[in-house]
Amino acid sequence: MMRRRILTAAALLTGSALLLSACAPSASSGDEQASGDAVTLKVWSWRTEDVEAYNKIFDVFEKEHPNITVEFEAFQNTEYNQILTTGLAGSDGPDVPMVRAYGQLQPNIEAGQLEPIDGKVDGLDGIAPSVIAGAKGKADGKTYAVPLATQTLQMFYNKQIFEEQGLEVPTTWDEFIDVQEKLLAAGITPMALGAKDDWILPIFADIVGSARYGGSEFEEQVLSGETDFNDPDYVASLGIITEMEKYLTPDVVGVSYTDSQIQFSSGQAAQFPGGSFEIATFRNQAPDLEFGSYQVPVPDDAVLDAPVSPAYADGNFAINSKSTHQDEAVELLNWLATPEFGQLVADELNQFSAIPGVEYEDAAMQEAWSNYEDGQAPYLLLVDFRYGEPLGTAVLGQQVQKMFLGETDAAGAAAALQTGISQWFVPGE
Amino acid sequence: MSAITALKAPRRRGNTGIALSRRAGMVFVLPALILFAVFIAYPLFTALSYSFFGWTGILRGDFVGIENYVTLFTKLPYSEDIPNAFVHNILLFFGAMVFQNTVGLGLATLLHRLTRFKRFFQTMYTLPYLVSPLVIGYLWSLMLSPLFGPVNAVLRGIGLGELAQPWLGNPQTAIWVVVLVTAWQWIGFPVLLYGAALGGIPEEIDEAASLDGASAWQRFRSITLPMLVPAIGTVSVLTFIGAMEAFPIPYALGGSQGNPAGATDVLSLLFYRTAFESGSSNAIGTSSAIATLLFLFIFGISMLITMLLRRAERKLF
Repeated sequence: MMRRRILTAAALLTGSALLLSACAPSASSGDEQASGDAVTLKVWSWRTEDVEAYNKIFDVFEKEHPNITVEFEAFQNTEYNQILTTGLAGSDGPDVPMVRAYGQLQPNIEAGQLEPIDGKVDGLDGIAPSVIAGAKGKADGKTYAVPLATQTLQMFYNKQIFEEQGLEVPTTWDEFIDVQEKLLAAGITPMALGAKDDWILPIFADIVGSARYGGSEFEEQVLSGETDFNDPDYVASLGIITEMEKYLTPDVVGVSYTDSQIQFSSGQAAQFPGGSFEIATFRNQAPDLEFGSYQVPVPDDAVLDAPVSPAYADGNFAINSKSTHQDEAVELLNWLATPEFGQLVADELNQFSAIPGVEYEDAAMQEAWSNYEDGQAPYLLLVDFRYGEPLGTAVLGQQVQKMFLGETDAAGAAAALQTGISQWFVPGE
Repeated sequence: MSAITALKAPRRRGNTGIALSRRAGMVFVLPALILFAVFIAYPLFTALSYSFFGWTGILRGDFVGIENYVTLFTKLPYSEDIPNAFVHNILLFFGAMVFQNTVGLGLATLLHRLTRFKRFFQTMYTLPYLVSPLVIGYLWSLMLSPLFGPVNAVLRGIGLGELAQPWLGNPQTAIWVVVLVTAWQWIGFPVLLYGAALGGIPEEIDEAASLDGASAWQRFRSITLPMLVPAIGTVSVLTFIGAMEAFPIPYALGGSQGNPAGATDVLSLLFYRTAFESGSSNAIGTSSAIATLLFLFIFGISMLITMLLRRAERKLF
């Protein structure tokens, strides 16, 4: 009898020990409630590669705002959404989290986890409408965050190859086609495109076709319901993709995105239609590569009369509605909207700041930015059509693959896009 | 068989006459039970319950009954993606089954006869099974790259240039690449399992049959194969589960969208897209419905296969 009791006790002990260790709280940060006026703001981000740069940036802020200390913490990009969701739901979350833009931001807003900042933060007026749209709630139209970075889409070109072939940056559609033909004749792949990865394809479609369908003008019309993606101008813009096919690698749907990057950075292809985020990659892969960028000229019958760089916002800083330091968080967001911070984003993070009036040291960046300032357009499918399932970018990506594979044409692809987004998109809302 | 082993087993040394009461026994089971409940049963039932609600981000909305399930079969993109992905899962299963029960069993039989280097070859065949499938998928995607990949380069080098293909860029070949790479990676598993089962077949039976004049094929057909049925059953069920849950290799080869043009899409990729990449605020509801359906299907069919095999075994022995 006695033995049995000991056994039972032993078993219970093991069991409870296991339970206890499972429930033990992970090292908690108990010292956040500071004495006096000194306040520590917790800032979360998915940019693990930028921790040092951010610490430098926030040092500048702390010097100007001695009562606030910024504690910057970065998490794995792929797990960030989950971590942030948990953090915002609990009491131990960040005061100022970096949040996603456009459609991916909506779940946080709809769950009431973020504080609207309209009227509290100055300096948002100068930001491009398609960029600030990334920080707004779709349902209520309020602004919830300060945009951090802008990505612009354009055609990169290898300066050395252009020089050797006696080519100039094209300014008309005929010159553009002429450049491609000459490269093809010289046995050089004119453009590197990784069409195996569907996400790059809507980017490609906008780089060559935005001006053709009308950029922001078309955006307005399609959002209000005046037209839809079956519009002849939009179909014609997708038709350019078929026209470009002969200037891409044969069997382009087998080429992955990373392959296409190597193709360009190793000089096997003369041009690369891509986002400004490629600049850092190219600099890393081939430090000696001399490249520039241009906006694809306006084709005949285009709606716009000048070329554009489609662009979108990438990342925002918002305020956790549960934060106990609302005033200080607003102070920080106000600073994040100043050109001073914008310049630091440019210098320390090598990104395009969302704030106007920033200078870029890197020649390729400055060139792409000046082009963008001359002609802006939204990266339409990302900016406006990622608010429901299926995502506009995902539908078009797959359709462009089908175009390359000969399974559909421009009109079919446009119709599929319209059918796809109609699952959730109601014009005029 | 288990009865025999139980008889032969020596009496437990610690068996001094104290039998644990049911209650004390339960207490000992408790830690495992708690772990099971917290990490397996609880998530399972939450997913099930989540699938009956509407969601706004992470805020649970109203009870919607089976609406999320209806959505899966009536609304784009799910109504098109689910059948497409499902067919690919089934292809994966049959591809792997055919490969394992022909090449796998053949290799195991050959290795069984081998006296030298047996361990070496077993290890070699099992190696891919030990590497992360994500890495395997990535390596194959590099090898099959139409620009820099060695596969096409070798084909061209030996004069088979017409066979060189954008393997992963052509919807007709891409899904077969996924099937073959998966089967290639898993080959070590049936080799090991069949190897062990072959070792368990008493040699006397084989010898007796051969004295009676049975040919090698007759012996394999009437002795070895029936004795392998339990092992084949295990391999089938595990292959089925693996094929239905396939994720890393399709993901590494075709990305989360099952590129090109959905040709390599499978159900787990669809779940991943819905849960983590969709802009829909009801992502939790729809993805939970997919997860529940997938679980029920895998569970149901696995039970069915096991039952059928048990019946077949009973007939044999």
